[in-house]
Amino acid sequence: MAQQASVGELLSMLDSPLLGVRDDVTAVFKENLNSDRGPMLVNTLVDYYLETNSQPVLHILTTLQEPHDKHLLDKMNEYVGKAASRLSALLLLGHVVRLQPSWKHKLSQAPLLPSLLKCLKTDTDIVVLTTAVLVLVTMLPMIPQSGKQHLHDFFDVFGRLSSWCLKKPGHVTEVYLVHLHASVYALFHRLYGMYPCNFVSFLRSHYSMKENLETFEEVVKPMMEHVRIHPELVTGSKDHELDPRRWKRLETHDVVIECAKISLDPTEASYEDGYSVSHQISARFPHRSADVSASSYVDTQNSYGNATSTPYSTSRLTLNTPGQLPQTLSSPSTRLLAEPPQATLWSPSAACGMTTPPTSPGNVPPDLSHPYSKIFGTAGGKGTPLGTPATSPPPAPPCHSDDYVHLSLPQATAPKKEERTDSARPCLHRQPHLPNDRGLEELHGGKGSVTLSDLPGFLGDLASEEDSIEKDKEEAAISKELSEITTADAEPLVPRGGFDSPFYRDSLPGCPRKTLSASSSTQGTSANSEPLNSSLDKPGPDTPKQAFTPIDLPCGGTGESPAGNRERQASLEASILTPSPCKIPPQRGVGFGSGQPPPYDHLFEVALPKTAHHFVSKKTEELLKKAKGGAEEDVPPSASPVEVLDRLVQQGADVHSKELSRLSLPSKSVDWTHFGDEIRTLRNQLLLLHNQLLYERFKRQQHALRNRRLLRKVIRAAALEEHNAAMKDQLKLQEKDIQIWKISLQKEQARYSQLQEQRDTVVTQLHSQIRQLQHDREEFYNQSQELQTKLADCRNMIAELRVELKKANNKVCHTELLLSQVSQKLSNSESVQQQMEFLNRQLLVLGEVNELYLEQLQNKHSDTTKEVEMMKAAYRKELEKNRSHVLQQNQRLDTCQKRILELESHLAKKDHLLLEQKKYLEDVKLQARGQLQAAESRYESQKKITQVFELEILDLYGKLEKDGLLRKLEEQKPEAAEAAEERLDYCQDGCSDSVTGHNEEAPGRNGETKPPRPSSARGGGGSRGGGSSSELSTPEKPPNPRAGPFSSRWETAVGEPASGTPATVGSLPSSESFLGMKARELFRNKSESQCDEDGLTVGSLSETLKTELGKDSGVEARPPPALDGPLPPAPKPDSVGQLRIMDYNEAQLEHS
Amino acid sequence: MTEDSQRNFRSVYYEKVGFRGVEEKKSLEILLKDDRLDIEKLCTFSQRFPLPSMYRALVWKVLLGILPPHHESHAQVMKYHKEQYSDVLHALEVIRFISDATPQIEVYLYMHRLESGKLPRSPSFPLEPEDEVFLAIAKAMEEMVEDSVDCYWITRCFVNQLNSKYRDTLPQLPKAFEQYLNLEDGRLLSHLKACGAVSTLPYELWFKKCFAGCLPESSLQRIWDKVVSGSCKILVFVAVEILLTFKIKVMALNSAEKITKFLENIPQDSSDAIVSKAVDLWHKHCGTPVHSA
Repeated sequence: MAQQASVGELLSMLDSPLLGVRDDVTAVFKENLNSDRGPMLVNTLVDYYLETNSQPVLHILTTLQEPHDKHLLDKMNEYVGKAASRLSALLLLGHVVRLQPSWKHKLSQAPLLPSLLKCLKTDTDIVVLTTAVLVLVTMLPMIPQSGKQHLHDFFDVFGRLSSWCLKKPGHVTEVYLVHLHASVYALFHRLYGMYPCNFVSFLRSHYSMKENLETFEEVVKPMMEHVRIHPELVTGSKDHELDPRRWKRLETHDVVIECAKISLDPTEASYEDGYSVSHQISARFPHRSADVSASSYVDTQNSYGNATSTPYSTSRLTLNTPGQLPQTLSSPSTRLLAEPPQATLWSPSAACGMTTPPTSPGNVPPDLSHPYSKIFGTAGGKGTPLGTPATSPPPAPPCHSDDYVHLSLPQATAPKKEERTDSARPCLHRQPHLPNDRGLEELHGGKGSVTLSDLPGFLGDLASEEDSIEKDKEEAAISKELSEITTADAEPLVPRGGFDSPFYRDSLPGCPRKTLSASSSTQGTSANSEPLNSSLDKPGPDTPKQAFTPIDLPCGGTGESPAGNRERQASLEASILTPSPCKIPPQRGVGFGSGQPPPYDHLFEVALPKTAHHFVSKKTEELLKKAKGGAEEDVPPSASPVEVLDRLVQQGADVHSKELSRLSLPSKSVDWTHFGDEIRTLRNQLLLLHNQLLYERFKRQQHALRNRRLLRKVIRAAALEEHNAAMKDQLKLQEKDIQIWKISLQKEQARYSQLQEQRDTVVTQLHSQIRQLQHDREEFYNQSQELQTKLADCRNMIAELRVELKKANNKVCHTELLLSQVSQKLSNSESVQQQMEFLNRQLLVLGEVNELYLEQLQNKHSDTTKEVEMMKAAYRKELEKNRSHVLQQNQRLDTCQKRILELESHLAKKDHLLLEQKKYLEDVKLQARGQLQAAESRYESQKKITQVFELEILDLYGKLEKDGLLRKLEEQKPEAAEAAEERLDYCQDGCSDSVTGHNEEAPGRNGETKPPRPSSARGGGGSRGGGSSSELSTPEKPPNPRAGPFSSRWETAVGEPASGTPATVGSLPSSESFLGMKARELFRNKSESQCDEDGLTVGSLSETLKTELGKDSGVEARPPPALDGPLPPAPKPDSVGQLRIMDYNEAQLEHS
Repeated sequence: MTEDSQRNFRSVYYEKVGFRGVEEKKSLEILLKDDRLDIEKLCTFSQRFPLPSMYRALVWKVLLGILPPHHESHAQVMKYHKEQYSDVLHALEVIRFISDATPQIEVYLYMHRLESGKLPRSPSFPLEPEDEVFLAIAKAMEEMVEDSVDCYWITRCFVNQLNSKYRDTLPQLPKAFEQYLNLEDGRLLSHLKACGAVSTLPYELWFKKCFAGCLPESSLQRIWDKVVSGSCKILVFVAVEILLTFKIKVMALNSAEKITKFLENIPQDSSDAIVSKAVDLWHKHCGTPVHSA
């Protein structure tokens, strides 16, 4: 509920005068709608709108998006169902539908459509009916295929309403009937346009009935006069019409145009695609055609449309006047063709640009058209009468009046047509500068009554009139005119002809003109009409200006051109402005009668937004400037004339209500009921008019859409045509080229074939040549083969010859050699011959000599021969003897030699043996030495042991002595003790004191010491075997002075005095002998242990030792520890043997 | 080279592939089959390859001169040695220098001293530094050789060799050590120098005791193989390798005492690797010994 409340507040805020607040609130609503999918908000909005006619709400509702459409339609359906709210609901529906929402296709399915139809069939309120019909007509093109299930409903509605027009059931005002008639006419066009077969069959069936015949005669037949035969009637069928595929290709505006095409009615009809209706008319009545075109575009109003209409009309004029080309094409294209120089400049796009502005209201996105919709809403909401003025086709005045007007205009313009074609541009160019007043004047000029010269005056009149009318208004002096107008309007309205043709042109009768002009001048030209006009014209005329300026030919008759221009303009303006006055006469009659301002609305169309603004800022003091600024400020730049119109209507309504209130107060008592009635009718009329206006506007939008698309197509087509033409040209050129190429190709082919023939001949020739040549070649080849074999033969022969030559040469050489040899031999033989001769000679000489000697010999031969023979025999024997002797000798020698060889081998063997023996000996020696070494070491250790033992014993002795035991022993054998002491002392040989003690004894024993020497010598001699060795080794040994005494001493100590000393002494230096080795070791040990001090005095020591030796001999028997005595000798023989072996060895070496 | 021809022809490839010592035992057996043992070849062999443990004692005895090169005399010589050993032992017992309770190594020491004639007057005499060397070596040897006679003899001869044959080279070893360490890792040496630890390195333990007590016997005997066979330079490389192996730890230590202390008690687990690397290093720097024959 809180939300509800807030929604209410927001709704009220929507109508706040502050633009900002409105925008904000609108934004809030849109947001809510976007977020909320519920029907609540939409329902509230619809309620609120129906209550207040609030413009912003209308804006929101018309721009509802998809999800909300259902709610909206439901809600509207609900309201349509109720009689009270039906009208407003229908109006809302009309607004919604005209904007062509995105969900328009859903309309056919919505329950709203049946209820609408139901309402159309049942309702009796003519206002509602008119509105509903218009809505239906608007809707039909949107739902062409889906509307087919309601087709008969549509037809029924048409039947009902057409009969209504005639029968006027109830007390329906005539005025309303006009509206109804117009709307039925529109429905007729729509139905005939969309479903011709069905419709015709319906008409046939419906009006074949007697009771309907009259209706047909009176109402339907006139309508049928304004339509052509629909092509579908020929080609199509009932089913085909309803085929959705047919409609799928068509958009809404396509449908609208389709419908317009079959219309002969200039207000309805379209000029597209060679539908000649309009152009015929326009050909005859250029101005009318201009008007027509203007009306077709402008019937909704604004000077803008006015401006746009001008180029069209001019174009049409130019088309007609020069008559250069048949007008099969639409105006821009005809223009293009007719006036090439201009065509390039006044391009379709320019035309397009001119035509664009009218489209805005429908197509401007709702968001952008905010102000517009606002105004729209207010217009719709407040002033029911305000909406109507522009739309509905005005009641048609009689045709003759129409003709009159149109003929009258050409009279003015005709002389200047030629100029105008060109001067139109400059004029247009100038047009913006023309004061709006003039436009207004021209409005009057449209009547044909106002000339250029009159203009200023007329202007002044207008100004005065404007003032006066304002005053009139103030003074409520309308009543007079009201009566006039009602009568004036009654005339054209009453006759049926008014219904016959809805040409509004006919509504230009003189009578309302004045008031019209007056009223228009009141508002339009009040103060700022000039700036208004200029500002309004800006968008429109500017474009033509841009378009035309390049062509801007200096007009021949400058003086005339403005006039013509004005005239033309006048007509145009008239045509533009006329609709409103024309449409409104009845209203005006009533309105004026009742003192209502609605007629002003149509003047506002001329006056345009500036005036509207003037009204808004009426009370501000600086009207002109403020109005301008304000308009520019308040109205967004995108403000379209339609909005302006709507606002104008609204303002008019406001003023009207004010007036009304002002009026009503005093006149409440007076005649109120009648007055109220009048007001109501007027309001209704206004509403109807507004509805119609809106419908027309919708149509216009569709046309604009269409137009734009067509223009695009035209441009594209033109471009394509150009392209095609170019392509064709190219094609032709290429074809020509191709021809040329073909010819050349043929030529080439001919040449080629010729060449080929030539070639063939040549080839054959060549082939034959080749064959011949090959033949030749083979012959040559054979020849060459033969030659080659010959060559080979020749070569062979040459080789043979060479060989022969060589052989011959050899032979020659040989023979030469032989020759030389022979010559040599010859020379030799010659010399030999000489020699032979010589020798022969000698022989001869010698033979002679021999003979001589033989003679001599024979003389002496007798006694020598025996002797000689004897000697010979002796010699022979001797020789034989010697020979045998030699033989013997040789044999002996041989044996000896053999013997020697044998012996030598023997010797070698022996040597070898010896070597082996030696080696073996060495081996054994080594072995023995090892063993000996072990033994030696054992021996050494033994010695050490004994030493230790001795030491120990001596120690023990020492102890005994110390114990006193020694004393007893002293007495018994003091010498022994002495000896023991001596021994002990000796053991500590290093001690000098003991030595001294010895020295004391030494002299006494000196004698004793001497004998050992010889004994030792004896021992040396005794041991002969050892002696030999020693003898052998002696030469090598220098006597070791140091070692000698010691060894001797130790030898003696051991008990081997005699043999040991000399042997060891002798063997010591010899490193080979084991004895020597041993001795050396011994000595070394000695020297290591105790010899340090021994080297002092060799002599004295030797002395002492000598004494000791002597003593030893004495002691020898005594010492019991001499157990080892026999041990040392054991190795002795070994060593001796070894020595001997060694000696032998040495001897052997010596031998060898 | 009859032995070589008898050897497995694949031996070359074994070595190429990286198997070492596959053929050593066989070739050693061949060497030992000779009646007169070729000492020089045995030396070369022992320098080139680790000795199989079953022949180690024999080879050492031969190399140290305890056994003569002739097989025939081995038994007799050993008999002599045994007798000598028992005699000396007996003598020591007689003079009551030792008892049954005396540790074996001390027994060896006294025996050695007795035989060298330097037996102190009583067992209570303070030990000399060389005695400690002897004791350390004897202790290691005791682990390696089962027979006490062999042990005594080998120890004795080993020490004798150190004292006689290597008398001149042993003092040179620290210098050589520095030189090779510089070649292998100059930074380490400079670090040691910076710490002043070069002079305090356990040279006595390394070079005099030949790592006895420093490395476990299983790896020690491989070093001693080389020492016995006449090369004491291996000691230098073992020392170098020890430093290289424990480089990170040594670099982390900054004071000479700590370094010395650490080096005197190096962890035993990587000793095998150290020895292998040391042998490689030795071969690298001094060349692989080859048969001079």
